[in-house]
Amino acid sequence: MKHIVIIGGGIAGMQCAVELSSLGISATVIEKEHATGGKLASWHRLFPSFTPAEDVLGELRLKFAKAANISLRCGVTATEITPRKVTLSTGDELECDAVVLATGFTLFDARIKEEYGYGIYDNVVTSADLEDMFNRGEIVLKNGNKPRRIALLHCVGSRDEKVCQRHCSKVCCVTGVKQAIELKEMFPTADVFNFYMDIRMFGPGYEEMYREAQVKHNVHFVRGRISEVSPTIDGRLQLKAEDTLTGRPLKMSVDMLVLLVGMRANEENAELAARYGLQCQESGFMKPQDNFMHNVESNVEGIFYAGTITSPKSVGETLNEATTVALRIKDWLQKQ
Amino acid sequence: MTFFALFCIPFIVGATLMFLSVVLKYFSWLRQLPTSDMILIAKGIFTPRTLSAVWEIVCESLLHRRIFRRNVVLGYMHMSLAFGWFLLIVVGWLETLSYLGTEWVPLQGHVFFKYFVPLNGIEGHKPLFDNVMDALLLFVLSGVTLAWLKRVRSRLMGMRRTTKHIFFDRIALSALWFVFPLRLLAESITCAIYGGGGFLTGNIGTLLSQHIDADVLMALYEPMWWMYSSALGIFFVAMPFSRYMHIFTEIPLIFLRHYRLRPAAKTKSYDNFEIEACSRCGICIDPCQLQSQLGINDVQSVYFLRDRRYNMLQQKIANNCLMCGRCEAVCPVGINLNTLRQNSRTTMRNIPNEGRYNYLRGIDLSQGEGRVGYFAGCMTLLTPNTMSAMQRIFEAAGEKVWWADKEGSVCCGRPLKLSGESDSAQKMIDYNKSLFEKHNISTLVTSCPICLRVFREDYDLQGIEVLHHSEYILRLLQQGRLKVGYSAEQRYTYHDPCELGRGSGIYDQPRAVIEAVGILLEPKHNRRDSLCCGSSVANTAINDAQQLTIARSVADELEATGAETIVTACPLCKKAIARGTKHSVSDLSEIVAKNLK
Repeated sequence: MKHIVIIGGGIAGMQCAVELSSLGISATVIEKEHATGGKLASWHRLFPSFTPAEDVLGELRLKFAKAANISLRCGVTATEITPRKVTLSTGDELECDAVVLATGFTLFDARIKEEYGYGIYDNVVTSADLEDMFNRGEIVLKNGNKPRRIALLHCVGSRDEKVCQRHCSKVCCVTGVKQAIELKEMFPTADVFNFYMDIRMFGPGYEEMYREAQVKHNVHFVRGRISEVSPTIDGRLQLKAEDTLTGRPLKMSVDMLVLLVGMRANEENAELAARYGLQCQESGFMKPQDNFMHNVESNVEGIFYAGTITSPKSVGETLNEATTVALRIKDWLQKQ
Repeated sequence: MTFFALFCIPFIVGATLMFLSVVLKYFSWLRQLPTSDMILIAKGIFTPRTLSAVWEIVCESLLHRRIFRRNVVLGYMHMSLAFGWFLLIVVGWLETLSYLGTEWVPLQGHVFFKYFVPLNGIEGHKPLFDNVMDALLLFVLSGVTLAWLKRVRSRLMGMRRTTKHIFFDRIALSALWFVFPLRLLAESITCAIYGGGGFLTGNIGTLLSQHIDADVLMALYEPMWWMYSSALGIFFVAMPFSRYMHIFTEIPLIFLRHYRLRPAAKTKSYDNFEIEACSRCGICIDPCQLQSQLGINDVQSVYFLRDRRYNMLQQKIANNCLMCGRCEAVCPVGINLNTLRQNSRTTMRNIPNEGRYNYLRGIDLSQGEGRVGYFAGCMTLLTPNTMSAMQRIFEAAGEKVWWADKEGSVCCGRPLKLSGESDSAQKMIDYNKSLFEKHNISTLVTSCPICLRVFREDYDLQGIEVLHHSEYILRLLQQGRLKVGYSAEQRYTYHDPCELGRGSGIYDQPRAVIEAVGILLEPKHNRRDSLCCGSSVANTAINDAQQLTIARSVADELEATGAETIVTACPLCKKAIARGTKHSVSDLSEIVAKNLK
């Protein structure tokens, strides 16, 4: 039986293992954390249907547990990767027929954009923090009050040359609209503002959700990036921005600011590229052979990519791609 | 004696043309000087400054002391050519004087003295002169040899890169290289035929006469003097239009500089003296980080001045400079490279829009009251950790503060000035100045070295002391108004911001503040030699990736000190370096606020 080593136990790695198993190929998943699920494990609900992340992950975990010929190694990392052998941090060596890299992405560290005050002022949170708060079912300000005016800022660490992140992280626009609706549902009397450069509603149901946010939930959209944030005397946050549709500068005091942090390529990608002859894109994400017929193959024979290691992707796209990788691997193994 | 031969013509023509061009140039530049500069000259000319200028000319134009300090071999090369040639002329003149007394001798008579007066057996032969002249010739020849060597192996003289020369410079350079070897040959052949000469020309002459037929020597004799004269002629014709114009121009420049003439925000006639005093030695190339980190090879000061001189300056060259001042710090001629670059940009870009800043009138967003004013500056507003640290420091010191720009401000004007929009910058300067004066402050503190520099240089704030926060914090510490905890466990390294260090001469104060809270480790390049973070507002040409490349190289050097925390005293440097490192980067005020007792 052919055997594949998958690096990364997020949804891409898990789905890939499940699909390989159904094709009669065995797989070992290497996960550096102590549990599978990756970033999805800490997310609350998914756009555009508000499906609980738990539902998706629960079903995937179940399939993963039931599938034959899958083994899981948690709490270890791969120290040496070749298409035929992977060495683990424990010293174990895993023989294999191909390797799938599914190591995902890194969340942009909002502290780099110091002007937004993350980690400096109270009540400046990231979109990931907000999901965490949703999970705990409690959104309160530092002083214990409920927020009456909330701003969500798009493109924090995306499409921003000043922090060397030129690419679009793709999912934050939709997440921002989703979170705005969720906030409105929790605090119907609160004002919720989205500050954006462009609203990119590229998927099925996204545009509808965007419209619903405006028509049904009365979420406000302001086209313009926030330039800086400062605290007010009464402990609120003052935003300075430019409303580029009216062409005027704008100042606004809010109780809470949500920074929609982007997806950043893992720091390790450059090292992977240097050590194993792989290629990185300018954004730092790994470069597949092409964007069409070989979009999950690396330039090294026997090394495949799944999920956000190659570019920002939504949950649905990641799951689809993981399936594709399994099929391509089967095809590739047969040609060998 | 007639002192004329046909071969003198190239020399005479060349020398005359050179003399005329140089005099015409200087005359027209001086005539176009603004009245204020004329007054400065009039005020300075009959003061001891003239004498100190003469002394500097001896030290720099002849001895090249500054280049010596940089590299001994390089200094020797420049000195042997300049001082050696000068002595050849002076001693040669004394030689004719000693032989012919006060009889008038035309210029070529001095230069080709050995031709006109073959010195052997004539009455009162003075072999001392022969030997001294030969020694001087050898001295110059050693410089020429080194100059050749520098073209091949510049590293021997401490230069990684040398200037890429244009056609005219190459002609002048080649002519200059040939002048002295040809002189040696011409004089040696003369000695071979007529005897005489010192230890060099005399001995070579003897050797030549032993090995070469007298007929051949006779046939070579005139052509050799022709070639020597032609080399001189070509060099002289090319000189005023080539880099060698610096030989003369440095002299009036030094005088004018001693009379306190300086280039200003707008171009003026005085700039010509600075521009043409550039010898294109290329010492400015190596320190340029655009060169060393990004491989950009055509924007350095030497090329900028050259392009400006020949009226072929392009915006993309003028704009592509960090204005970090690293080149200015090493320029052996002391040219004000940054100011010249800035006023070139102004000439090319300054398009004042009268209505554009009308909205400034009457705006006052300032808060609080106090004799001490704090101007954070736009970059500090984007690094709010610095701002809140300053707030804590003011509170701890019990200072009452007038906050000039907490709620937003008008830019200090320097970024616009640097990018060449001097008139727009002036509008902001006027606005801020009246704001400061209105609030009756006695001290103005800023966290931004860019603001600091324009406040000090262009604001003319009467009765208001302008301080960088490093100076202000140190003063509080010294007065005992601020108490900080010291920890030998805390190791810091300090990055000198260009505008603060080279720009404003503030090196010690931030270091003293750091040493009050912990241990300071110096990076390889520091103080006057410190590197630029790469994100300078003065450069509008390079992109973010290029800025990042520079930032990483700077961060590498700072990390190599082994310090846990990188400290700087400029919000722009802080942001720039933070992009290039995983270490924590703090403003000086942050580490003070953190360790307040």
